[in-house]
Amino acid sequence: MIVILIIPIVTAILCYVLKNARLTGYVSLAGTIALAVSAWPMITSSISAPISAMDGAFSMDALSGYIMGLVIFLSLASAIYSISYLEHELETGLTDLRGVRRYYGLLHLFIFTMLIVTMANNLAIMWIGIEATTIVSALLIGLGFHKRPLAVEAAWKYIILCTVGITFALLGTFITYYASTAVMGTEGALNWTVLKTVAPRLNPETMKLAFIFVLVGYGTKAGLAPVHNWLPDAHSQAPSPISALLSGILLNTAFYGIMRFVSIVGPSTGEAFTGNLLIIFGLISIGISAIFILVQENYKRLLAYSSIEHMGIISLGVGIGGPVGIYGALLHIMNHALSKPLMFFASGKIQSRFGSQNIASVKGVLTSMPLLGSLTLIGALSLSGTPPFNIFVSEFTVLKAGVDKGLWTVVALFLLFVVIVFYGVLSGFGKMLFGKPGDAVGSGTGHHHVPALSLGRVLGNGIMIIMALSVIIMGLRVPGFIDETIRTCVQVLGAK
Amino acid sequence: MKTWIEAFSIIDFISVGILLTAVTLNAFKSIESYVKAYTINSWLLSSLIAVVAVLVGETHLYVAALLTLATKGILIPLFLRRIVRQMRVTHEVVPYISNSLSLAISGILVAVVYASLKEGIFVTGFSRNVLQISIAVILISLFIMITRKKALTLVMGLLFMENGLFLAGFSLTFGMPTIIELGVLFDMLMGVIILGIFAVQIKRAFASADLDKLTVLKG
Repeated sequence: MIVILIIPIVTAILCYVLKNARLTGYVSLAGTIALAVSAWPMITSSISAPISAMDGAFSMDALSGYIMGLVIFLSLASAIYSISYLEHELETGLTDLRGVRRYYGLLHLFIFTMLIVTMANNLAIMWIGIEATTIVSALLIGLGFHKRPLAVEAAWKYIILCTVGITFALLGTFITYYASTAVMGTEGALNWTVLKTVAPRLNPETMKLAFIFVLVGYGTKAGLAPVHNWLPDAHSQAPSPISALLSGILLNTAFYGIMRFVSIVGPSTGEAFTGNLLIIFGLISIGISAIFILVQENYKRLLAYSSIEHMGIISLGVGIGGPVGIYGALLHIMNHALSKPLMFFASGKIQSRFGSQNIASVKGVLTSMPLLGSLTLIGALSLSGTPPFNIFVSEFTVLKAGVDKGLWTVVALFLLFVVIVFYGVLSGFGKMLFGKPGDAVGSGTGHHHVPALSLGRVLGNGIMIIMALSVIIMGLRVPGFIDETIRTCVQVLGAK
Repeated sequence: MKTWIEAFSIIDFISVGILLTAVTLNAFKSIESYVKAYTINSWLLSSLIAVVAVLVGETHLYVAALLTLATKGILIPLFLRRIVRQMRVTHEVVPYISNSLSLAISGILVAVVYASLKEGIFVTGFSRNVLQISIAVILISLFIMITRKKALTLVMGLLFMENGLFLAGFSLTFGMPTIIELGVLFDMLMGVIILGIFAVQIKRAFASADLDKLTVLKG
């Protein structure tokens, strides 16, 4: 188990030491492939039965395995896409060797911190991991690449807001520790495996307080409104592969922390307490992001707000609870982790082609770049929740859970917001995809040359095609092994 | 020694000292004074942990006291002083509101905390006052963060908040296991270093360390 923590560190060091920009990219790819290969048996075994290492400091059950699988898949996708992305940046002189080395080094450190979060058994170690993801990813946004004032501004907001927020989560963790030591002494008092067994005996008043702090803390990191302000800035200013990782999986690792707490706090305070809080914050997130999506003029920010919306839906699913609600939420995590990175990858290419993040400056992507255009179209349809794409399935599952429980107000609001988002996302990307190329306002930056076909570009396109295919497949039918995994996760979370 | 500590309510004295160093932030005009106040605050925090270690006689508390002293008491202040010198800032804090108003609001915050936590759920042994003080410190530092303009003041507010949080955690649980304490302190240290780097970057990129300039990204 420890091996897979060592691989990203070694890769990070190698990438930083190497003096050849092109080679670094492939070394990073080799590192992530090695990571995926060595983690695969661990993930599959963790899904069938919990495994642990280092005296129970690290422990993995199905939920950890599920999230870790997503972390590794997206890391792989990101590492592949990064090659062509950085090659392009190098060609256009937007970065230099130093930036590339720093970027890859930090990228693997970032992967390392996310792996710690998924593997930690101890809630405090999980906190340490989540805080570490903030620090490393802030560096990736602000310095990883090339220094621009806007990126520095975004990174500053990100790190200040998230550090303050997550400090509250630490307080919540302290309070949990206090409550659990009162029940069972200090031995393993923060270990998730132990806490799960004593959860019903924890003092409900104390756990309520703890949960509020944790929800505020990790909620900030997970991008739940109204403390989401860092998210659009960070996502729009980060390099595209990093935006994909931030949106696709970083938010989920923070939400994973909340889910862990829900399953401890729920038995103590009653499901209604945690459920109602999550439903309220989920609906606020969906509502606020729906409005901002509608008026958004910058497509990367639009995608960022769409992330807030989807985190809201996940929160709503967990909040509604029950096997169906949690199943929907977990499925949504995966669907979002497929569609959103695809869109960020595509938007990175659009941005490098048109030189702008403005929706109005991009026109006719479908005619000028048919492959990229169709991939973007698939992603946009999926993100807006159009059937038969994957996100529709999980949104519908969450909706069904709400109807089953008879939460009609929640269902009505959810439907209203989702319709707004549907229009907002499709009209935003529709303007970019259709129309005649060259009509765009302020375009014509001149570099409409077709870049030479290189291995990096082929790989980058390949991973995007694979993601688009999985978006379609997941929409038609959830594959058996994923379905099994999610069902096991639902049991782990103790939904009845 | 134990009787001596109890007889003179040393713990209460130290925690009041922690509160007072946080309150003084309202009155200071230069960032150097903030760093000095922070150093004193951290030393007090570490000595409080040491005193409790003597009281309950647990080894891991001595370790925690030493760790706190090393990181918060020595490393972070040294780093902050370097950053302050490197930025060659005007050393002014530039609050949005006057110092006397800010002081008054801090006083109200402390009163509110005492009033609301009077019948708290956590009243155990030595920590009765300590918990209230720690929450007050957290609130005051948050208040400092939102009313000051310079990037570094935000970092200072965050650091004070973390001290308050450590105090709260400590009063609730007699400290976390050492390995966790170590990890949290390490994260915090890295966080401060990176915030320092970004503060310098902001200064460079916007030719000012005023946070009002950071308004390009919105909506």
